[in-house]
Amino acid sequence: MAYRANVLICGGTGCVSGGSFAVKKALETEIEKRGLKNEIMVIATGCQGFCGEGPIVIVQPDGVLYCKVNVNDVPQLVEEHLLKGRPYKKKLYTSPVEKAPIPALKEIPFFAKQRLVVLRNRGLIDPEKIEDYIAVDGFAALAKCLTEMTPESIINEIKKSGLRGRGGGGFPTGIKWESCRKAAIHRNVEPVVICNADEGDPGAFMDRSTIECDPCAIIEGMTIGARAIGAKQGFVYIRQEYPLARERLAKALEQARSYGLLGDNILGTDFSFDIKIVQGAGAFVCGESTALMASLEGKVGEPRAKYIHTVEYGYENRPSCLNNVETWANVPPIILRGAEWFTSMGTGDVSENPWGGSKGTKVFSLAGNVNNTGLIEVPMGITLREIIFDIGGGIAKGKKFKAVQTGGPSGGFLPESCIDLPVDFDSLLEAGTMMGSGGMVVADEDTCMVDSAKFFVSFLMEESCGKCTPCREGLRSMYNILDAITKGKGKEEDIETLQEIGEVMMDCCLCALGSSAPNPVISTIRYFKDEYLEHIRNKKCPGKVCKAMIIYKINSELCNGCHACTKVCPSDAIIGKQKELHRIDVQKCIKCGACIDVCPQEAIYKE
Amino acid sequence: MEKKKLTVSELKNIRQEFQEHLTVRAGVARARVIIHMGTCGIAAGAREILNAALKALEESQSKDVIVTTSSCAGLCSSEPMATVEIQHEPPVKYINLTEEKIRKIFKEHVLGGKIVKEYALATGSETTA
Amino acid sequence: METIKLKINGFEVEAYDKQPLIEVAEKLGIRIPTLCHNPIIEPYGVCRVCTVEVRHGRRVRMVTACNYPVSNGIEVFTDSERVIRNRKMIIEWLLGRCGNVPVLNKLAEEYGIAEPRFGRGTDNCILCGLCVRVCQDIVGANVLGFFDRGPNRYVSTSYDETSDLCITCGACASVCPTGCITIEGLQEGIYKEMPMGPITPIHIDFMQAVPKKAVIDHDSCINFKTGGCKVCVDVCEAEAIDHSMQETEKEVDVGTILLSTGFKLQDGRELKEYGYGKYPNILTSLDFEVLNNANGPTGGKIVTQDGKIPKAIGIIHCVGSRDKKYHEYCSRVCCMYALKFAHLIKEKIHDCEVYNFYIDMRCFGKGYEEFYNRLLREGVNFVRGKVAEISDATLDKSEEGKLILRAEDTMVGTVRRIPVDMVVLCLAVEAQEDAKSTARLFGCAVGKDYFVNEKHPKLAPVSTPSDGVFIAGMVQGPKDIPDTVAQAGAASSAILSLIQQKEVETEVVTAVIEESMCSGCHICVDLCPYNAITFYQDRKKSEINEALCKGCGTCVAACPAGAAQQRNFKDVQIYAEIRGLLAI
Repeated sequence: MAYRANVLICGGTGCVSGGSFAVKKALETEIEKRGLKNEIMVIATGCQGFCGEGPIVIVQPDGVLYCKVNVNDVPQLVEEHLLKGRPYKKKLYTSPVEKAPIPALKEIPFFAKQRLVVLRNRGLIDPEKIEDYIAVDGFAALAKCLTEMTPESIINEIKKSGLRGRGGGGFPTGIKWESCRKAAIHRNVEPVVICNADEGDPGAFMDRSTIECDPCAIIEGMTIGARAIGAKQGFVYIRQEYPLARERLAKALEQARSYGLLGDNILGTDFSFDIKIVQGAGAFVCGESTALMASLEGKVGEPRAKYIHTVEYGYENRPSCLNNVETWANVPPIILRGAEWFTSMGTGDVSENPWGGSKGTKVFSLAGNVNNTGLIEVPMGITLREIIFDIGGGIAKGKKFKAVQTGGPSGGFLPESCIDLPVDFDSLLEAGTMMGSGGMVVADEDTCMVDSAKFFVSFLMEESCGKCTPCREGLRSMYNILDAITKGKGKEEDIETLQEIGEVMMDCCLCALGSSAPNPVISTIRYFKDEYLEHIRNKKCPGKVCKAMIIYKINSELCNGCHACTKVCPSDAIIGKQKELHRIDVQKCIKCGACIDVCPQEAIYKE
Repeated sequence: MEKKKLTVSELKNIRQEFQEHLTVRAGVARARVIIHMGTCGIAAGAREILNAALKALEESQSKDVIVTTSSCAGLCSSEPMATVEIQHEPPVKYINLTEEKIRKIFKEHVLGGKIVKEYALATGSETTA
Repeated sequence: METIKLKINGFEVEAYDKQPLIEVAEKLGIRIPTLCHNPIIEPYGVCRVCTVEVRHGRRVRMVTACNYPVSNGIEVFTDSERVIRNRKMIIEWLLGRCGNVPVLNKLAEEYGIAEPRFGRGTDNCILCGLCVRVCQDIVGANVLGFFDRGPNRYVSTSYDETSDLCITCGACASVCPTGCITIEGLQEGIYKEMPMGPITPIHIDFMQAVPKKAVIDHDSCINFKTGGCKVCVDVCEAEAIDHSMQETEKEVDVGTILLSTGFKLQDGRELKEYGYGKYPNILTSLDFEVLNNANGPTGGKIVTQDGKIPKAIGIIHCVGSRDKKYHEYCSRVCCMYALKFAHLIKEKIHDCEVYNFYIDMRCFGKGYEEFYNRLLREGVNFVRGKVAEISDATLDKSEEGKLILRAEDTMVGTVRRIPVDMVVLCLAVEAQEDAKSTARLFGCAVGKDYFVNEKHPKLAPVSTPSDGVFIAGMVQGPKDIPDTVAQAGAASSAILSLIQQKEVETEVVTAVIEESMCSGCHICVDLCPYNAITFYQDRKKSEINEALCKGCGTCVAACPAGAAQQRNFKDVQIYAEIRGLLAI
């Protein structure tokens, strides 16, 4: 039984004389009283060498140090730290030099609201040393699978956990494994497991970070998956643009092989399995399962019709179990700590139906106009508000929140009215966007929704493989209409046409890239129709982004004639003598915005 | 280097052996300096920080300090980052490092035991579920 | 195969499980439009024009009919409101790329699209991928592929350069629904490659062929070049096609043999002055026969290489025949087929001037002279005299592209210069290249023109010196069809009378080889004019087939060991006779 935390109490002479045994007893009683006996272990240690501040209590793995703890502190310490998860400030170690204590990580909202499952070892282990991974219970789950569990019971455990694919679709992993195993047995063909590490969303780096911080977790997850479905061969399809991740993974594979954790007769059992790294050339569409498998086979990475599923006929027409990096990394902790632990996080009820909820955590790369950008892992069901305002620290530069886009380029935008939406597969889908693989871009008031939609449509248009008509031509027609709107040439009926294009694309596209591609447009029309109408009817861009609809002006009261702007203006559009009021020649101005950036008086504005 | 193939019980032995290396609890080292080297960190200059830390370690000739690397710490906008773990003290995360800063941290915090507050973000470890 | 039931537009229909929906619909007579589907190629499902609505329980999906596998209990709607809306927009999208493609405009008309919302593009390729797939999956040449992506996708060859891998099979052009793939110089190709070769790799050699069976041409069949295709195997209901079949040698025991190996046409390039193979539109008589044939590459239309109808055609008789430089003999058939050509040209192109250049008109057969007279009335020009040269030395623009014939007109006594659009050379008929060795194989001799000699020109015109070997047709000398048939009839009756006898009379005086004396030197084998001696490798001895031996005695005279002896004329017998005469 693994303990959630260890409470180390110093048993050195100094502390014992300060009453540490009594504190230990009180701790044990209190922990038992609170029902934490199975989660928290109290250990008496040797002298910690900090006798002047004794009795010393250290809570691991949080690494929080308490000083001069007496019996009376114990109930509060247990309640605050072990139950509520925040340090018990009263006895927190205070550096003698500084008066104010340095905050613990848990007091910083960016870290406080995160729960690490996939990224559990980030910053903790050396990803290039497999022994470090083993030290943090690595491969224990695999050992358990090989010695104590049957393939069926592994699949059952994953099914019970309610784990759903983290790559975007949210397909229940257990069901996928089960159908793959069945297809392999039914057809008597050896199946394969594949890890999709072809993360292509702009601004998303969840999978890259996961591999970089814990490559062995993916290896262990895939090996468990292979054991469950009966595969002997595994592939990691990783994009060529991730050299560090690839290198660490390659090192981890080599180390795992040298320890016999991959290869023939793993851990002395009759189970054999190995993994090969295959490099993708970085095409966005190769993240799509059938395109990925085509690329794996050495063909052009283009999707094919999925009326026959890849779990039955995938790579080389073999039953193929494809999950993304994050999904595979979730597998070892689920096996080790049980489905129940996993279902304790998240929303809904998956006991009857694996589609019934979203369990566990989700890794997001938080980007855009927020104060704290970065990689976060949060429990499913956390609200967008918590992510943006607590973890993200609110909108940068004190601007107002306008929208958040989730699910990568083919996800949708959500407005402020959706800010309290719980983040899980189904709520997001209902609101017109999707979980995707975990991109989250926050937009402030200076964002033009039409222009943003255009940006993503243009990205998707360039990344579309061009195989099927609706995706290739639909995106082009959408782009042309959006482009016209942002240039002030929009027509009233354009909105309707855009919606129809979106509907036809959702109906008719060959793969998910195409059928989800209209999301940015459809969701912005749904939530920000006014902004479209403003562009079309009044030729005005509320976000002041669309160049055709704005002019740059100089506030005569603020301008002090410093000439900073005239120096950077590439088109010599700013007229005015030194120390006199400047003026912008609208004819010459190309609206590049260089002057705004340099004006020390902030006298230049857009209208 | 060809290693012997593991069995389940040997796996457990490795776990125990290296668990001790991972924490600064038991006698192997008094302090650990972890440089966060994900793609974001490296792009922000983590390699220079690592080199500076290693050089500082060499110059100090201390035998009980480990300089090691790990991955992205999550707050990519504040890279390069490092974590300093001193025996019996909660780990301290430093952000926005420069070579100058890491040398100071090494001198004052790792060797001197005094947290360099102006560079520190927070103490403690992250919450694992 | 498991059969299942489904409904299409309300009609219940049976199908086998996972059968493509489009097939099932077709069976019901329901047409689903498609642009990227071809039954011989694996479905691709990209044009999406064949999108239909499928309901299964509460689940409603839009699927492509070309590759959707049907299952039990589904309900299909091929023209619901939603389907029509989707299909219309897809057609509009395609028009936005290719506004002028007939097949799209037809569809647009069908769906009432007058002015597509996304404009009309100028491209011709709808990116259906049929050409790419036929080249990869069927032909196996892998010449064509898709390049770039998204709206910039296009079909091309590697690095957009002419590919060495292309076998110019034309499969891509034939499957292209928009006609945007053309084969450059198709007409030229027909002239260069086709006249003497097959029109398609699978063909019936000629209409009168016996047995009238299709054959596959190794040189042009895709399968023999790339190992791909085999479409014919799939469509042949009799399952008669087997690409792995090899030519085999068969040994047949026979009593008599009729040699009828025919002739070959002289190579026109030998006559440099006529420029065959150098200038376009110079044809041999056989080329013209193919061109003029209703089953030919132009469907029997007489056209020049650039597809124009010729206004003047010259037919030159006695090319290579009756010519001391080539063949002294008369080819015997040219006059009459040249007249036939002239007649047919006049019949097909009334205003075409036909010039026949001849030395003598040899219309020797029944009704032949009358045919010649008829042609004179039809307005065919006859020029008595040999053509000196054919060139492209035109004088002015009106003669551009024409061939200039220079010939002496002995009737008028001048040299004439006649520009024509096409020339037919009546080349000499020649013995087959291997005529000499063939004749030798059968114990026959050839004359100086390599035609096989008959046993006696008057008394045994179909027999050869080898008993049981007969000849008929051009192998013996130039002759026309009636003569050939007559000779073949004579030869057949000679053969039948032999077979009727059931036994063969052999010569009384034949040679025998005394095996104990034979050293196995082979000398006799090569010398025997009747191929009567066989050398047995196992015994290292030669032996004479007495049925073939004519008792000429060549082997007897040549045998160094004295092993070959003439029956009744053995050395001892001759010596005895001599002694008797000398009364020693």
